Amino acid sequence: MEELLRQGVVVGIVATGVRLAAPFLFAALGEMFSQRSGVYNLGVEGIMMLGAFSGFLVTWTTGSALLGTIFSVAIGVLMGLLMALVSVTLRAEQGISGIGMYLLGWGLSGLLFRRYVGFITGVKGFASWHVPVVSDVPVLGPVLFQHNWMVYAALLLVPVSAFVLYQTTWGLKVKAVGMTPEAADSLGVNVNVIRYQCVVLGSALAGLAGAALTLGQANMYADNITAGRGFIAVALVYFARWNPWGVLAGSLLFSTVSAFQLWVQVLGIRFPYEFVVILPYVMTIAALAMVSRRVWAPAALGKPFRRGAY
Amino acid sequence: MAANRKLHNALALLLIVALGLVGCRGAGGGAEPSSKIRIALVLPSTVDDMAWSQSMYEALKAVQKEMGENHLEIAISERLGTPVEGGAAIRQYAEQGYDIVIAHGAQFQQVVLEIAPDFPKTTFAYGAGFEAGDNVFAYDVEAQEGGYLLGMLAGLLSKAGVVGIVGPVEAGHTVKYNWGFRQGVASVRPGIKVNVAYTGSFNDVVGAGDLAKVQMDAGADVLTGSSQQAVGAIRAAAERPGVLWLSTEMDQSRLAPKTVVASQVYRWEKIVKRMIDLRKQGVVGGEHMTASFADGTLELRYNPELVGKVPQQVKDLVEETRRKIADGTLKIELPREQGR
Repeated sequence: MEELLRQGVVVGIVATGVRLAAPFLFAALGEMFSQRSGVYNLGVEGIMMLGAFSGFLVTWTTGSALLGTIFSVAIGVLMGLLMALVSVTLRAEQGISGIGMYLLGWGLSGLLFRRYVGFITGVKGFASWHVPVVSDVPVLGPVLFQHNWMVYAALLLVPVSAFVLYQTTWGLKVKAVGMTPEAADSLGVNVNVIRYQCVVLGSALAGLAGAALTLGQANMYADNITAGRGFIAVALVYFARWNPWGVLAGSLLFSTVSAFQLWVQVLGIRFPYEFVVILPYVMTIAALAMVSRRVWAPAALGKPFRRGAY
Repeated sequence: MAANRKLHNALALLLIVALGLVGCRGAGGGAEPSSKIRIALVLPSTVDDMAWSQSMYEALKAVQKEMGENHLEIAISERLGTPVEGGAAIRQYAEQGYDIVIAHGAQFQQVVLEIAPDFPKTTFAYGAGFEAGDNVFAYDVEAQEGGYLLGMLAGLLSKAGVVGIVGPVEAGHTVKYNWGFRQGVASVRPGIKVNVAYTGSFNDVVGAGDLAKVQMDAGADVLTGSSQQAVGAIRAAAERPGVLWLSTEMDQSRLAPKTVVASQVYRWEKIVKRMIDLRKQGVVGGEHMTASFADGTLELRYNPELVGKVPQQVKDLVEETRRKIADGTLKIELPREQGR
């Protein structure tokens, strides 16, 4: 147990936690915008998978991870348009269409992987970039400033999202559309346009989250690479009460507990590993159960908007 | 609304096509000459996972090549990780009249033993496991044997004196492998540290990569690990100079030619051929088969690119031990629940 409390190990755990948080941050912040506008997208997992695959494919063929990332985002945009078409324009049941997106993403990524790659191989992803000066600061340096740019971007996206949501007109419209779409509509806000924008933004970020897995973390692609991380991201949005800072807290909590359990095992601390492996999930459920006592949610979440329905 | 429903239908169709193309390959029916044997394979991951599933797929393909496509038909279903999903496919294949249905995963033991009595003429097989039934073959692998040899290599090649295991789930043959590996390390360098940790999943490649990074941060310079998740750990190891990997299930050196030193290779061909031969003799099940070094179903293979870096006396010692394992003079101990 003393080993775990050594400074080096604690720094290692927190630094690993910050690194692992990046894909959750991208996906959950995107899903937060989508849900704030009234559309929950359960297809995040599938979009992440397609994003992960397309980013990998383009990087593998061109050698440019940046180009790969751009493609991941572009695929996310396309998937977002499809999701928005089904759930906003056609007003389909959002839960079902989300599951459809998930299965489509999984099926397509597997199919395309076999067709265009055919075997497991690695790519050169993003190398870590040590921020000059600050990365040498003890403790804080390794924890915050020795990552690849995806991690920095994911962290920066939190204040950016908060600013957009709380300080801009567009953010105001998003919140209005998610709470009282009829009122927003009567004030001249085009409800469905805002929802399209949010779903597409959310899906684009899910695509980016996929790239964060293949190009920022694993530097490879294999079938089912997301392994449930997209669904965790959706849960984190509820955990966060639809707040960007909450998303940051939830993502860091989940990934730090994940990192903690890896270290606990590696250091050989006697404890049934099964309990340690489920720890991040148990923590998330416990936290969800505790915060849900004060229930607050975008009032129009899950309800398609039809003009003049009242 | 009509447009809505049409789009739903179109989407559903697209989904089915996409999933169908990935999920099933080579499933064919129709009348066939009676000399033709039909084998269905149910896989937890994909045929190109570079590990557990691919090892069996390639074995089946090799047997098919040897027998000729006119004599052996193969159908494959992939991505059936759970007993529920796998069970549905197993039953369907049996109903379609396949001669041998192989469920390639320890998780299918219960479901195979439940379905088998409904199709007494069909041969079922599953592994890794050891409980056979009237028409069920159980195939097992003495993974601890190669584990021991690779453990010796790890102990002798580690400069840091720390070796790490990136385990999937503490169950079945992964336990045997890890058990043998640790004994192998201890046999050549008793004081050395072997850190064992599990991802809790057979196919979370990203998680395995993260675990490998933590193992390396904790000082390990030689790593190993089993099941399809291991490919993520191998990629992570390949990015750290000076770190070596020891593979099991398949020769995985192609994934990281400068990192993977040696592999324990499962050669299921012999097991599959034995099932076919027994069935031809009218034996539809009841046998527990084992892959081991003794019968050549297990093999130790060095990566030609790195074999030069392994000192000759180390190779000699490993080879001598391999012979002792093969002829039975050296028995690798197993945890009590695994030893039979």
